[in-house]
Amino acid sequence: MNAERPRIPKAERMAPTDNELMEDVRDGRVEKLAVLFERYQTMLYNFFLRLTGNRAASEDLVQEVFIRILKYRSGYLSESRFNVWLFQIARNAHIDYLRKQKPALPLDEKHAETPGREPLPEAAYEADREAELVRRALDRLPVNKREILVLFRFQNLKLREIAELTGVQVGTVKAQVHRALKDLSRVYLELQRGDLS
Amino acid sequence: MTCEKIQEKYADYLTGDLDEAGRAEVQAHILGCQACREDLENLTVVWAKLGVLPEEQPGGAVRARFYALLEDEKRKAAAAAVPQARSRLADWLTFRRPAFAASFSVLLLLLGLGAGWFLSAGRPGRESYAALSREVQDMRQQVALSLLNDPSASERIQGVGYTAEVKDPSDTTLAALFKAVDADPNPNVRLAAVDALYLFRDRPGVRQNLVRSLSVQSYPLVQVALIDFLVEVREARAVEALKKLIEAGELTPDVKKRAEQGLRQIAL
Ligand SMILES: [Zn+2]
Repeated sequence: MNAERPRIPKAERMAPTDNELMEDVRDGRVEKLAVLFERYQTMLYNFFLRLTGNRAASEDLVQEVFIRILKYRSGYLSESRFNVWLFQIARNAHIDYLRKQKPALPLDEKHAETPGREPLPEAAYEADREAELVRRALDRLPVNKREILVLFRFQNLKLREIAELTGVQVGTVKAQVHRALKDLSRVYLELQRGDLS
Repeated sequence: MTCEKIQEKYADYLTGDLDEAGRAEVQAHILGCQACREDLENLTVVWAKLGVLPEEQPGGAVRARFYALLEDEKRKAAAAAVPQARSRLADWLTFRRPAFAASFSVLLLLLGLGAGWFLSAGRPGRESYAALSREVQDMRQQVALSLLNDPSASERIQGVGYTAEVKDPSDTTLAALFKAVDADPNPNVRLAAVDALYLFRDRPGVRQNLVRSLSVQSYPLVQVALIDFLVEVREARAVEALKKLIEAGELTPDVKKRAEQGLRQIAL
């Protein structure tokens, strides 16, 4: 009886790649998107959380990404790297979110300090003071620098993938990572000194 | 080598992707250049600090909303595709259901759980493998039963997905699936349960229960799924139920057509 169960053999198959799944979604088997959702929801949520500092907004943005995937699925190319395509959509969703937050705000440089970071409860703050300092330091970076660090450090995108994503040369990305880390280091030390005094 | 050229290598240096020659160049440079040495030390520290940021889990609402979105999309696709007779098994298997989209990820999760159990149990010998397998099966069923009682439809669908991965479900598990087919408030959960029961079609009682279910089913999509099921297994007892259903005259035109067609197919 088991032998003729049609759905069981998938347990023995190799897991399909992101690209295969997305091709299926594009070609009308939208239920395959559930597998991609399970693979990426946490990663996307943390991407947005580190950019916005806002849990509710990050949850909305995760949903927004999947809405857009369905909307733009016919444009998915087989030769795409799925994670690059996904983060392209995620970045655009984030940019649109920022526009809605502060219509007049230019996206690049200077301002862009994140509003609305939810304060941690006192106990958690004490227990996790260092993480909180890092978080606050990240929040103080301009959004483009924060984004590059989040992509590189947390989303584990390769330098060439970030270059593809942001449309610049790999060498430029290397320099951007360097500058962003340098800034973060400076802000972190400032915060730490401020904290200690 | 200039300071700028060295700094270009830092990103790869930090991730450990720099080759040996590159590392040697960096080392040689910072020996003689204090500014770069301090720079790299600071970067290394802050790079490590970034590692203390914990990854957070999104709330369960994210999953519920996603599955609602997916259901919506599939309904649209199904409406566009005009549901026709699905006599071919292949069609049947790629039917509109959400359960098996979900069940793949559930399967991955289970493999993980199973592996975790395996590790935590030490090194079971060959003789205890059967017991282990039994244990994993029981665990799946427990998880499935508890998910089937969840207030969220997407959780219940996941629960159905779990049962579909059980080799030999208990009567309790089967009863929970029958109940889902008959009475779940969400038609997608009902559909998923019909799908799962297809896997257990040779268990005693499954076909009879679904024949009975046909007479109490109110959702047209689920009615069609039940008819598909009973036609697929050539269930003779369905003939009577189908006739009654058609005579009662409460079916939508599509379902009625499918029922009449089903009658002919079962008779073949
Ligand atoms: Zn130097």
